[in-house]
Amino acid sequence: MGPRSLTSYKRVSGDAIEYEVFARKTRAESLHQVGSVVAPDDDLAMAYARATYDEERWCEMAIVRKEHVIELWQPGEAQ
Amino acid sequence: MSISDIVLSIADNKQMLGLRYAEWATRAPSLEADIAAAAMGLDDLGHSRVLYGCLEPLGADPRGPERESDPASLRALAYFDQPWTEWAQFVAANAVLDTAFTVVIEACVNGSVEVLQHRLRKMLMEERYHFLHGRSWLKSGIGAEPLNRAWTEAVEWFGPPDGEVAALHREGKLSMGPPELLAKLEEQLEVKSPDVRVDWAKWDPNRRRSKPGAIDEQTFGMLRGLEEKKFAPSSAATKEA
Repeated sequence: MGPRSLTSYKRVSGDAIEYEVFARKTRAESLHQVGSVVAPDDDLAMAYARATYDEERWCEMAIVRKEHVIELWQPGEAQ
Repeated sequence: MSISDIVLSIADNKQMLGLRYAEWATRAPSLEADIAAAAMGLDDLGHSRVLYGCLEPLGADPRGPERESDPASLRALAYFDQPWTEWAQFVAANAVLDTAFTVVIEACVNGSVEVLQHRLRKMLMEERYHFLHGRSWLKSGIGAEPLNRAWTEAVEWFGPPDGEVAALHREGKLSMGPPELLAKLEEQLEVKSPDVRVDWAKWDPNRRRSKPGAIDEQTFGMLRGLEEKKFAPSSAATKEA
């Protein structure tokens, strides 16, 4: 029984959504990005974010769909 | 039967649920699901420790010495007797049974027993993420067999309409009785339970299940620390070192 031999699910399916995960430890601190997760919907993304990034005692955690982040400029581009 | 019996039943089931979740920490369909399985396993094992710790302040610990030798003395559901071989079994347990346990914990928190009101509240917050995980995977679609089995065992676990859970509800120790618990479970999962017919004459009120049987030998050995001892150095080897 090899790893993942029991299911036909794929790691990332066509409808998977990428989410950025933000958190902070204290109210005085700003929210900052701590990582990202991939999930098919918001519910699962919340569960995955909490499970993956729970090594710290965060007082706040939030996720944002990556497609909803509006970029002003990228590295290498003039401001 | 007392509230201690219900607490012990939740504890034994959460312990087994945690162990079965942990078995999938490297076999789930995605890396994120692997991590979630490990995290939920840790949560449920931790919850079981808290629940066992409630038995003494409740004044009656129903655990006897037979728990060291007889796997059938543990009060876990038949769903946990054997390791799961399909992801669908994980999802059905995660969505239906884990949520059923949470609904009863909610009934304890909103009931009149002070120690349960205080000690179990935090579990509800952690369980929110188990619920989101289970419901989302459930919506993605799984086979009917494990799902029907999980629903049947949840209904059995809530108990008969005139049983001790109903009595504890009347006494105010639990805020919900079997019909309210089932309605709450259905509301949470946004689906109706299949039509479950339970032969309550064959139902074991201690183990809250109808099926005979017990957990597999290896898991029972693990619970008693025997599996771990297999990997410990022998006393002779320790002396030589």
